[in-house]
Amino acid sequence: MWQIQNPNTPTGQLILWMIVLGAFIMIMGLVPLLHALPPRGRRAIIVIITFITGLFFATEFFLPINKEQKNFLTDAIQPAQQAVQVITALALGLGTYGLVRLHLRNVVQRRTQWGYSLVLLISFVVMATFSIANTLSEQGLVEKTPLLEQGFKLLFDYTLVQLDAAMFSLIAFYIFSAAYRAFRIRSVEAGILMFTAIVVMIGVVPLGATISPYLPGVANWILTSLNAPVQRAIEFGVGIGGLAMAIRLWLSLERGVT
Amino acid sequence: MQTRGPSIWERMLSIDRRILYLLLFANIVLFLLLPIRMRAAVSPPVQKFYDEIEKLQPGDLVMISSNWSASTLAENQPQLEAVIRHLMRKKAKFTLISVEAQSRDISYRLASRLTPEGGYEYGRDWAHFGFVTNLIVSIKGMVNNLPDTIKKDVRGTPVSELPLLKGITSLRQYKMIIDVTPSATVPFWISYAPKETKILYCPTSVMAAEAYTFLDSGQIKGMITGAKGAQEYEQLLGIVGLGTRFVNAISFSHVLIILFIFLGNLALFMNRRQMRQEG
Repeated sequence: MWQIQNPNTPTGQLILWMIVLGAFIMIMGLVPLLHALPPRGRRAIIVIITFITGLFFATEFFLPINKEQKNFLTDAIQPAQQAVQVITALALGLGTYGLVRLHLRNVVQRRTQWGYSLVLLISFVVMATFSIANTLSEQGLVEKTPLLEQGFKLLFDYTLVQLDAAMFSLIAFYIFSAAYRAFRIRSVEAGILMFTAIVVMIGVVPLGATISPYLPGVANWILTSLNAPVQRAIEFGVGIGGLAMAIRLWLSLERGVT
Repeated sequence: MQTRGPSIWERMLSIDRRILYLLLFANIVLFLLLPIRMRAAVSPPVQKFYDEIEKLQPGDLVMISSNWSASTLAENQPQLEAVIRHLMRKKAKFTLISVEAQSRDISYRLASRLTPEGGYEYGRDWAHFGFVTNLIVSIKGMVNNLPDTIKKDVRGTPVSELPLLKGITSLRQYKMIIDVTPSATVPFWISYAPKETKILYCPTSVMAAEAYTFLDSGQIKGMITGAKGAQEYEQLLGIVGLGTRFVNAISFSHVLIILFIFLGNLALFMNRRQMRQEG
């Protein structure tokens, strides 16, 4: 695999920057070129790239391996992984650009509920600034000042994490309300299902062992002897469905892919 | 003509959801604050998990895949804390990896907070590889050439220069992989990680049911299910962690849900009977 010799020397750094600049210019040039193509031409490019990359990963997985656990394609996994990272970074940049553009337009044109857009933009800029600065300080590239440390802690630990956890915990309240209203024993099957659910719900928590020493064992038997075979059957079905879908995506037969 | 008001059963069936929310909230707060400690019956998957880590030798290398964010903090944080504490007790070295940005920050900060307890030093005893964007390709890359795949850790140090990873070129040299996650990432580790490397799993409670097939087949060697699994694990370790603190609220929330399912069915049955009697 081609590598830059001594990337930390001034010459190596120069070559690195030249490569980055060249790649940037190439991508910027590709965008208008792709836009200029007719839809059928664009579709053909996407179909070909999807097929080749899919073929690469499938072939690498299925081809026999030697004593070093490799085949002739295994060494190409690293560049493929880096390509995936680059594509993801591009997608992230594109997403950020789209998000900022949309909400900036809402604010500038005073559209309906533009205040929310303003809150989003301010939160986005503040969080990104502190987050990037914190990452750089972890790498020793900028000084970790008390403002940065406290600011990041306030924004990440005390705001983002708490809001995220609170949002998810609301599900428990909906489940409680839904279980009360919807879990009705209208048939023998529903009765069996409810009885099983109660045994598992109580059996897996310490209260179950306090009520009866046999309850945890019964709950475990239900999970391993009844649940596991059913799950296996479902996973077989899902697996076959997933394989069919993967083939359709690989061959670009799925509508909406291109 | 005088019309009768709604019966108690009708009122129960149309109970305001805010009353239900308030009851659950009060139940959770009460049992989080009450200092009751109930001993758990350790489930076989948790016991297997514990036994596998007990088999580790000092210096053995373990990969922890930490892919949870704040939304599942109540379940995954007690698991990760208990696992790291056990690894430190066994003097096993570990590296962390994530598949998204928030889980990278959370797991790095959590490990940075816990590791001084065991006298662990970053770079020598543990390290964080940051987050990777595609887990499948990254696992395959790490099996083939770990330093080239990860390149730098969260502190910007090339992983080949970390004392912890001296002589480590592949995931094959790891003794164990522990997946702490609310997502279905464990099939990726099973499919693409080296077959000789043991896989242990820490899912959230809702994800655990699917994993029993892998436990049965031996593809997963042990499993800690949610916060209640963490409590069992803490009991085995002889410590009081987040799992032990959370489990009472979980236990009695289960009881409350069951009680209200029963009451809902009773109200429905009695209401129907009353309507039949009234013609």
